[in-house]
Amino acid sequence: MTYVYYLLLSALLFALGAYGAMRRRSVLLLLMSVELMLNAANLGLITFARAWGSLAAQGAALLVVALAAAEVAVGLALVVAVFRVRESTTVDDLSELKG
Amino acid sequence: MLMLLAIGLPLLGFLVLGLFGRRFKEPAPGVLASALVGLSFLISVYLLFVGGERFALADWLPGIPFALNFDHLSGYMALIVTGIGFLIHVYAIGYMAGDEGFSRFFAYFNFFIAAMLTLVFADSYPVMFIGWEGVGLASFLLIGFWYTDWKNADSARKAFVVNRIGDLGFLLGMAALYAFFGTLSISGLKEAIEGSLVLPAGLGLVGLLLFVAAVGKSAQVPLMVWLPDAMAGPTPVSALIHAATMVTAGVYLLARSSFLYVNLPDVSYWIAVIGVLTALYGALSALGQWDIKKIIAYSTISQLGYMFLAVGVGAYWIALFHVMTHAFYKALLFLASGSVIHALNGEQDVRKMGGLKKYLPRTHLHGLIGALSLAGFPLMAGFWSKDAIITATLTYPFGGLGFYLVALFTAFLTAIYAMRWYVLVFLGEFRGQGHPHEAPPVMTVPNDVLAFGATFAGFLALPEPFWNLIEPFLAPALAEVEAHPFAPLVEWGLILLSAVVALVGLWAGYTLYADYFKKKLPEWYRAFERAALEAFYVDKIYNAFLVNPAKETAKLLGLTDRGLDATYAAAAAEVGVLGRVLARLQTGYARFYAFLILLFAGLFVLWGVVR
Repeated sequence: MTYVYYLLLSALLFALGAYGAMRRRSVLLLLMSVELMLNAANLGLITFARAWGSLAAQGAALLVVALAAAEVAVGLALVVAVFRVRESTTVDDLSELKG
Repeated sequence: MLMLLAIGLPLLGFLVLGLFGRRFKEPAPGVLASALVGLSFLISVYLLFVGGERFALADWLPGIPFALNFDHLSGYMALIVTGIGFLIHVYAIGYMAGDEGFSRFFAYFNFFIAAMLTLVFADSYPVMFIGWEGVGLASFLLIGFWYTDWKNADSARKAFVVNRIGDLGFLLGMAALYAFFGTLSISGLKEAIEGSLVLPAGLGLVGLLLFVAAVGKSAQVPLMVWLPDAMAGPTPVSALIHAATMVTAGVYLLARSSFLYVNLPDVSYWIAVIGVLTALYGALSALGQWDIKKIIAYSTISQLGYMFLAVGVGAYWIALFHVMTHAFYKALLFLASGSVIHALNGEQDVRKMGGLKKYLPRTHLHGLIGALSLAGFPLMAGFWSKDAIITATLTYPFGGLGFYLVALFTAFLTAIYAMRWYVLVFLGEFRGQGHPHEAPPVMTVPNDVLAFGATFAGFLALPEPFWNLIEPFLAPALAEVEAHPFAPLVEWGLILLSAVVALVGLWAGYTLYADYFKKKLPEWYRAFERAALEAFYVDKIYNAFLVNPAKETAKLLGLTDRGLDATYAAAAAEVGVLGRVLARLQTGYARFYAFLILLFAGLFVLWGVVR
């Protein structure tokens, strides 16, 4: 029964992350929001691993950690590259690709 | 292998001149091309002395070898093609001097020789077809050699399109042949026909279809319309391709297949009918022409008709004899015309010529010899071969008195128009402007050789009791036909008759056309001349009944096509509108995308739950 709280926390963190991803205009905050969502998912995975006694979900959580590290590395590199050209970290300035 | 060399040398010339021709200085491409053709000629002579050669590349196509055969018949033709071809190549060095496309011209010329030799050497119909199409292509390229002029390009297209009808006959003929005999080899077919007791019923169809091919290539009625227009090309082209060699390919095809036609009296009869009609038509049309080359072009049609008549009555060797003498005197006539045109800076209208005897003594002599040989002046080359054909209409199995009479009448007309050509060009007063100048030696010397041939080539085959070298020479390659020769006295009587006819024709031509422009001629003759100038309106009839309806149909179909295109374009435009509406979704804001992802992920999950 206690697992429900973990899951609720996970859902709450995910919702916060999603909200941040949609509302924040700074690239850095956007990245942090994405991290938040990834870790919310991780928390969910771990909870289920515990509940079902399955190692597979824990493995998946480890994969997500690795993925998040890679994502941050690439994401920050992009941020630096964009900043050098634009001198701005506002995502809404980067809206050339539109129909 | 030497045969391949004979074909390969001109082909090499074509490649070298076609790829690097512009890097050579002016006479070099001509000299190279002439030398290569000369070498091919020497190879052919050598092969003839060593007794021929065979070459076969097995399984070239499934079940069909790439077979070449050098026997007496192909050797004979090869000598004409390369020998006359060499002389005309040399002449063209002078004639084409200063032309922008000098090397291109010789590249095409060499290509023509290579294709023609392929046609001649072929021992199977598909191989012959390669050469057949090759010479057609060369003809197309050379008629339209000065392609910047619409008229020339149109003439080239016309020649090509009309020839396609004949080519279709060739293709269907081959298909029928394969269906009946399972072989396309010429010598194999010969054995099959001579060995079989009962011939397949469809043999007549094969003969007819191959005859259609010959009709197209050799400009016989009703496919003769392309040849006069083919004169749009440079004069050496007219001499080589449209007089001496390519147009006789049809005669060669029929003679090569003589073992087929000897078993087909009905088809042979029609060949003779078409031949004699063509001879008459060509001669009548020649009487009305004003273009120096078109007179000779219609004369070529007429003489080709004679050859077909000979093939039709079964006198195959005589047809080939006439091919040779005709090659000499007709090439000579064309090249002499070329010299005249050259001297007058491109003038081709005989009404603006006249009196050139004084200015061009050497060319005058060539023209006179050519015209007399064509007219059948006694003892000239054309006299012996044409007379042999006229007599053959009575002595050979498929002949008849009707053929004889028309052929004799045509000989009379031939003498008239030959004289007309000669008188209008060389006699009387000069009616043009400027000062004509004689051609350089590079042009007159080949004509000397041709003039020699046009005078003496006929002595290779004389009637009984004199020698005849050509018939026994060609006999092994041709079908055996049982002729019923007349007693020598009767035969010589007939020869005397045709000699008289030719002389009367020459006299009539002279009296009619000397001082032609001061004479008052009867109205009916003027009317005839007008009709002959238009070649009896055949072009107009074809235009009205075939060409224009086809054009209108094409336009109509083009409209339908455009309608369909418009429909498709409209449909595409509708899709484009939809695309532009959907493209609005791509706002470019990352958070909007994030929202969409989240929205649809949510919907997806919801759908999983609800389901």
